[in-house]
Amino acid sequence: MISKVTPLLRVEALKKYFPVRRGFLQQVGGCVRAVDGVDLEIQPKQTLGLVGESGCGKSTVARLIMRLLTPDGGTVRFDGREITVLNERAFKPLRKQIQMIFQDPYSSLNPRMTVAQTISDGVRMAGIKGKSDQRKRIRQLLEMVGMPVASAGRYPHEFSGGQRQRVGIARALSVSPQLILCDEPISALDVSIQAQIINLLKDLQAELGLSYLFISHDLNVVSYICDHVCVMYRGRIVESAPASDLFDHPCHPYTLRLLAAVPETTEVGWSPQVGAGSQRAPLPDGCAFGDQCPDCHDDCVIEPPAMVRVGGQHYVRCWNATRRQCSAADPEGRH
Amino acid sequence: MGRSNDILLAVENLKVHFTGDGPVARAVDGMDFQIHRRETVCIVGESGCGKTVTALAILGLLKQPPAIIADGRITFDGRSLLDMPAAELRALRGKRIAMVFQEPMTSLNPVFPIGDQIGEAVLAHERVSEVAVRRRVNQLLDDVGIVDPQRRLGDYPHQLSGGQRQRVMIAMALACEPDLIIADEPTTALDVTVQAQILGLLKKLKQEKNMAIQYITHDLGVVAAIADQVYVMYAGVVVEQGTTGIIFGNARHPYTVALLNALPTKKKRGRRLYSIPGSVPHPAYRPMGCPFHPRCEYCEPSCQNAFPALCDYGKGHHARCPILFAARGRAEETRA
Repeated sequence: MISKVTPLLRVEALKKYFPVRRGFLQQVGGCVRAVDGVDLEIQPKQTLGLVGESGCGKSTVARLIMRLLTPDGGTVRFDGREITVLNERAFKPLRKQIQMIFQDPYSSLNPRMTVAQTISDGVRMAGIKGKSDQRKRIRQLLEMVGMPVASAGRYPHEFSGGQRQRVGIARALSVSPQLILCDEPISALDVSIQAQIINLLKDLQAELGLSYLFISHDLNVVSYICDHVCVMYRGRIVESAPASDLFDHPCHPYTLRLLAAVPETTEVGWSPQVGAGSQRAPLPDGCAFGDQCPDCHDDCVIEPPAMVRVGGQHYVRCWNATRRQCSAADPEGRH
Repeated sequence: MGRSNDILLAVENLKVHFTGDGPVARAVDGMDFQIHRRETVCIVGESGCGKTVTALAILGLLKQPPAIIADGRITFDGRSLLDMPAAELRALRGKRIAMVFQEPMTSLNPVFPIGDQIGEAVLAHERVSEVAVRRRVNQLLDDVGIVDPQRRLGDYPHQLSGGQRQRVMIAMALACEPDLIIADEPTTALDVTVQAQILGLLKKLKQEKNMAIQYITHDLGVVAAIADQVYVMYAGVVVEQGTTGIIFGNARHPYTVALLNALPTKKKRGRRLYSIPGSVPHPAYRPMGCPFHPRCEYCEPSCQNAFPALCDYGKGHHARCPILFAARGRAEETRA
């Protein structure tokens, strides 16, 4: 995937295999290919959406970028610098640049720490010395995320889910990062609160020039907030396109299936056109989606498809992609 | 509506309170709704609004204390459920009213094969032979779309995927061909593609088996897909009710309108999302008057003192707010 601007984050051929232990002796009997050659790019001040169903490897990708897990292959370049090979000490300053917001605001805050304590670790790490300066910065961070300044001395249990998520965001911002990995940041929140957090994330992006990796299974949220979207299936990116292209002209059969499955409030009485799923065995050598795909043919069984460009910045991992009418809005881009 | 003899379940002025060390939490605070035969009724609301507690009260599954049914009536097929002796209620539960829970993994017993667990639901209510039970379980698994049921009977819950487990839960609920299935967020823990399958399955089974479904959810997209009738709950009460078309096309309660406006969609890209200020009030500390008034953009001084009664907007459409309707009328007048 070629682009003119240097991306803030470039992930290439990222792999993570987890060993599967079986039986009494816990011998390694195989491996789960959680992330199996993922490429993605995040541009400065942009939001990249990563969608897919549970178990497809989305969260593992975030954990690999954060170096909470060690990859089994591939490279992660942040601002042009390869970070997978750095030792802990060399990585430490970069860790401030990449922060994370978690799904569950109940389990991701320490219940024994006040809001101020939760945020102050980051403030100290950011190099702010002197108690009064630290207090000032904490106040500023709380205001940024829309929390009352008086909440600094209170504990997480005194707050609602939405407020806790705001504290989690303030903690992430405390080290002034450039990139925030948001792992399902709103799916544990009430419907009436979700919009507040989405607006907050957008405001902060405009104000601080942040980039987001936005991991979600909610395609409506992704279509609203993301600039570029990658669809992940069984550890691989199967489609990558600017949000408008992806939602208006989806191309991969898996993306089509995902989009068809989203119930919309505008479609009263909608009947899902999804079968019980295929019962064919996964193809050992071919396309990962082959056993589920309505268009699977001989090529797909023999060899996994490569990423092909179907127009502009729209890439699809499917042998049929060029035959299918994709990216109809962008005829010049297709060569 | 002339269907009053068709009413299967009627809940009237139900109040469920929880007592503890602190103040009394009024989880359900005057809930009214009806389910007709062969109808899918969606109860929509956010966490803590009392949707699940209502369902548990219907089935007599609330632990008392701490729960107290402070007031109200629940009538199922002409009989009061709240006055029913425990043994009779037990005979009814599973047989005529069945429930499907949110998390299939925690609702299935991990140490018994699924075939035995579904068979148990049959044996609890009917005296039938071992062979007949097996045949029935086979048929049920087939009905819910499990391929090759003969082979899956001996499987344990951990051998199944999330979607298959929820299918097993539905098979169990269907075991005695109930008149009513109460489904409490049955697809919330599932992926969208699996959710679509389960919704399709419920729709199909409802047709085939002539059941009514009480579907509890917070997902408005799911409501639009499955419901005939919608009840929107806020802070323990129904604030708006109507057919699905009316709720999504012509909502009259500011809470319903706000919820629909706050949903992110592709069309709203680039525009700021409408967001409801504040958060859901705690059941023990609900505001005076209309419980939604501190978050409502149409709030008038009277809303702080009195909770409006249901206003009838025709065709079975009711909302506990006269103000939004009046405000829209004024807006249209000025435009004209």
